[in-house]
Amino acid sequence: MRIFYASLSLFLVALLAAHPAQAQPPAPDEPTYRIAKQLNCPTCAGRNLADCPTETCAQWKAEIKTQLDAGKSAEEVLAYFQARFGPTVLQEPPKSGVTAPLWAAPAGAALVFLASVGLVMWRAARRSAATPAPAAAEHNDPFIAELERQVRAGE
Amino acid sequence: MKGKPLLVASVTSGIVLLAGIFYIALNLVMQQGARPAPGLPAPDFTLRLYPGYRAGLPEEIRLSDLRGNVVVINFWASWCEECHKEAQALENVYRSYKDRGVMVLGIDYLDTEAPALAYLKQYNVTYPNGIDLQQQIARAYRITGVPETFFIDRDGIVREVVVAPLTEAQLRAKIEALIED
Repeated sequence: MRIFYASLSLFLVALLAAHPAQAQPPAPDEPTYRIAKQLNCPTCAGRNLADCPTETCAQWKAEIKTQLDAGKSAEEVLAYFQARFGPTVLQEPPKSGVTAPLWAAPAGAALVFLASVGLVMWRAARRSAATPAPAAAEHNDPFIAELERQVRAGE
Repeated sequence: MKGKPLLVASVTSGIVLLAGIFYIALNLVMQQGARPAPGLPAPDFTLRLYPGYRAGLPEEIRLSDLRGNVVVINFWASWCEECHKEAQALENVYRSYKDRGVMVLGIDYLDTEAPALAYLKQYNVTYPNGIDLQQQIARAYRITGVPETFFIDRDGIVREVVVAPLTEAQLRAKIEALIED
């Protein structure tokens, strides 16, 4: 039994030691990785280029590295991919053209909302300034309101 | 009563957001044409040919410039394993039929230049090949992947679409049928 537990422990230790090597992610500090993170896989919907293992993405990452090695900046590399494959290749859509409303709509909606809230508050403030303070507490109950009116009028 | 303006503001904001989303969706739909099925005219396009793979044609060619020829349009990519299977067959039929009014056009899809040129060199390709910039041709032809091959007759009408790699015998049979037509 002791041999069994010893073997099991050894196996688990070996497994834990081997695991980090197998699950080693691509180095996030590499310039190629950082640029790939800003691009989409062209063939898998919604997948990031940096994390995609397909042959297409391997080629694209190789292209990024080649261009960086040739002295191009990150912006130039991204511009190359956008020019060749279109704006949909970018993780973040450009803030112009067809996608402009995508960026403008939330800001527009927020502006309309804030303007409306401001208008409501301004009107409420103006109304309270214009209305004289009631002599007594106002009631929503029409009967009590009528009673108070009659008392004030001395009826 | 005080809550009403807030409700109006919320609804207006929602409408502004929905209008933005609708505008984008409409644009995306407008960009998509109908798939050119057999019997329909082949959508015209401009293809920028790779240097060394122009077969005597100018750097940019239009499909309509090839009217009067049988045209075989083949969408491919260097990373596509199935495309490798038919690459040699396409080159062979081009060499056989180029003097009989048949043009083979290779359209490189979602490829980077170096692997694409290596692919063309590997199969000694001589028929015109170019890059589909921003996938405009692929969108016009509504391709669903690669390889896809469109057979177009002398009048510019799509006669057949094949969504699979083709053998040389299949290519020859389809081209012969269009030549004799």
